[in-house]
Amino acid sequence: MTTVLNTKRGSAALARSSVRTLLFVLKARAFFVLLALLVLFCILAPSFLTANNLAILSKHVAISAILAIGMTFVVLTGGIDLSVGSLAGLGGMVAGYLLTQGILIAGVVHYPPVAGVIFITLAVCLIVGLLNGWLVARAGVAPFIATLGTLYIARGAALLISNGKTFPNLAGQSLRGNKGFPLLGQSSFLGIPLPVWIMLCLFALAWLVAVKTPLGRHIYAVGGNERAARLAGIRVPRVKVFTYAASSVCAALVGLIIASQLEAAHPATGESFELNAIAAVVLGGTSLMGGRGSIPGSLIGAFVIGVLSDGLVMLGVSEFWQMVIKGTVIVLAVAVDQLQSRLQSKFLPYLQSASAEVRA
Amino acid sequence: MMSRSIHRLAIIVVGLLILTVTACHRAEMSKPLIVIIVPSQDNPFFKSEADAAAARAQSLGYRVRIDAHDDDAYRQDNLIDAAIASNAAAIILDNAGADSSIAAVRRATQAGIPCFLIDREIEAEGIAKAQIIADNNQGARIVAEEFVHAIGSGGGDYVELLGRESDTNAQIRTKAFHSLLDKLPSLRLAVGQSANWSQSEAFQKTETMLQAHANIRGIIAGNDTMALGAVAAVKSSGLKDIVITGLDGSPDAIAAIRAGTLRATSLQPAVLIARMAVDEAYKFLHSGSTGKPERQVIPCDLVTSQNVDDFGDFEKLR
Repeated sequence: MTTVLNTKRGSAALARSSVRTLLFVLKARAFFVLLALLVLFCILAPSFLTANNLAILSKHVAISAILAIGMTFVVLTGGIDLSVGSLAGLGGMVAGYLLTQGILIAGVVHYPPVAGVIFITLAVCLIVGLLNGWLVARAGVAPFIATLGTLYIARGAALLISNGKTFPNLAGQSLRGNKGFPLLGQSSFLGIPLPVWIMLCLFALAWLVAVKTPLGRHIYAVGGNERAARLAGIRVPRVKVFTYAASSVCAALVGLIIASQLEAAHPATGESFELNAIAAVVLGGTSLMGGRGSIPGSLIGAFVIGVLSDGLVMLGVSEFWQMVIKGTVIVLAVAVDQLQSRLQSKFLPYLQSASAEVRA
Repeated sequence: MMSRSIHRLAIIVVGLLILTVTACHRAEMSKPLIVIIVPSQDNPFFKSEADAAAARAQSLGYRVRIDAHDDDAYRQDNLIDAAIASNAAAIILDNAGADSSIAAVRRATQAGIPCFLIDREIEAEGIAKAQIIADNNQGARIVAEEFVHAIGSGGGDYVELLGRESDTNAQIRTKAFHSLLDKLPSLRLAVGQSANWSQSEAFQKTETMLQAHANIRGIIAGNDTMALGAVAAVKSSGLKDIVITGLDGSPDAIAAIRAGTLRATSLQPAVLIARMAVDEAYKFLHSGSTGKPERQVIPCDLVTSQNVDDFGDFEKLR
């Protein structure tokens, strides 16, 4: 009798643990996809797993990861920021203008030093970010429309700055005291490229904000239930403005990094980058409805996209197939996301009763 | 009360402004209009082409409007309609697709507006009054010859950066490259990838391809923008002695050739072609004929460090 009971209990425990494992695998799916991709490309492309290539790969990932980190905050509040690609283009053009044309003050052309260039670029993009935030939080414009508008405004402004031309030779001149801009995108520290350090620092900062500060909790709360958040005394507009501002600063950094890497600023830079960033955020398990998701998830999502595109380039897969494969991965990831939340709600009572039983 | 008088004042001021502006423009508006439609204005090539056509048309006494269709045949259709509606004397068009532009050109011609095509041809004859194009095939071949010459008899592996693969010019160029390079057994294509004409995309993809393939001796790019992306990638990788060539002859590429980072490019005489088209339009409008065959193919010039000073923005100076 007891043995029968024990085996019954044993099989139930086994089922519970397998359900738990399944849920865990589904929850960390982006991570497993990343591992699978890494293994796959290691086998197929012999030089994939060299330190040098991993450094270059992370440098490429940094571009979409930085955008994705800022985007995560916006998406967590239930919004979306379509303007980041254009803002990256605008940021590069502002930097290019300041480095090659200078600022005209009282009839004299001044060339700001590189730190000044970076500061002004961040400030210009921040203004657009604040505009996004104001439009969404105060003027009541839907995030999709507000940022679609600033997408066009920022791209148009980027084209207007140079009248459509490229700003070449951003290396600066010692005579103007503005040398050193290429260091931002091209230098390395401890063997790791500077853009990757920037990505890591932003990641650490954003993660801290998200999980350790009241602001972070407010962001989740606004996305989870805006009305409840407002009734709980959270200043919803302020939280939203912060998220769009953060996203715009991330976009400005990306623009600066790209301009620095190429030593040239082209006004069409960053076209459709916003889609890569959104894809990374979604792959990382952040819900577009808001309130659910994480910063590490977005970082992993950006790595999945980056590893996929670099790996396929290494294998020499045609551009057209690359697009098909990327799209498939994104759609599958979101489909699995839905499966996970359904499974979770189905098995949650079961798992809870199990843990209650264990306690008893 | 106060607000109403301000309102009235504002209306009067705006009205006066409109009157003065229209008066100033009346003289200008009486001139015949030439509409110039190019793919984009954020690309130095198309910009130089449009500016050259506009300058020549203005010097011949025309009013000019420049539009961009962003390689979108539907947008081009709308722009052609707008040109018909504004009763243009002629259209100078760098079209949005060899097949998808035929209908638009025919509609303009039927509306009595002669079309002069520059830079890209359409797959139909007898509709446009002129099709003046740079010889992409010859331009790609001369640059490929220089590429082979620079790599030397030792040969080796090379990388190809292709333009947007759905684009006719990208196909013509890669075909011309391979008609030459594939004959040489010492040269081996390590990998070919599209970078969609983009500098930042070429930069990232070249970095990755240089990792995947050791001993790359050369990078042949379908245009200058991608070649410059490759130059930046080779620089960041620290590799030396990699031959890089572009195509188009952009000012940035010419500067890079002067600096020694780019080996060669092939200059498309866009400025010359744009001026020729306007001149032929002028002749056609005054005599009813351009006096030239419809299809005119203009050869490209090879630019290397030897002759780099002979070239300006998409034109041969000497």
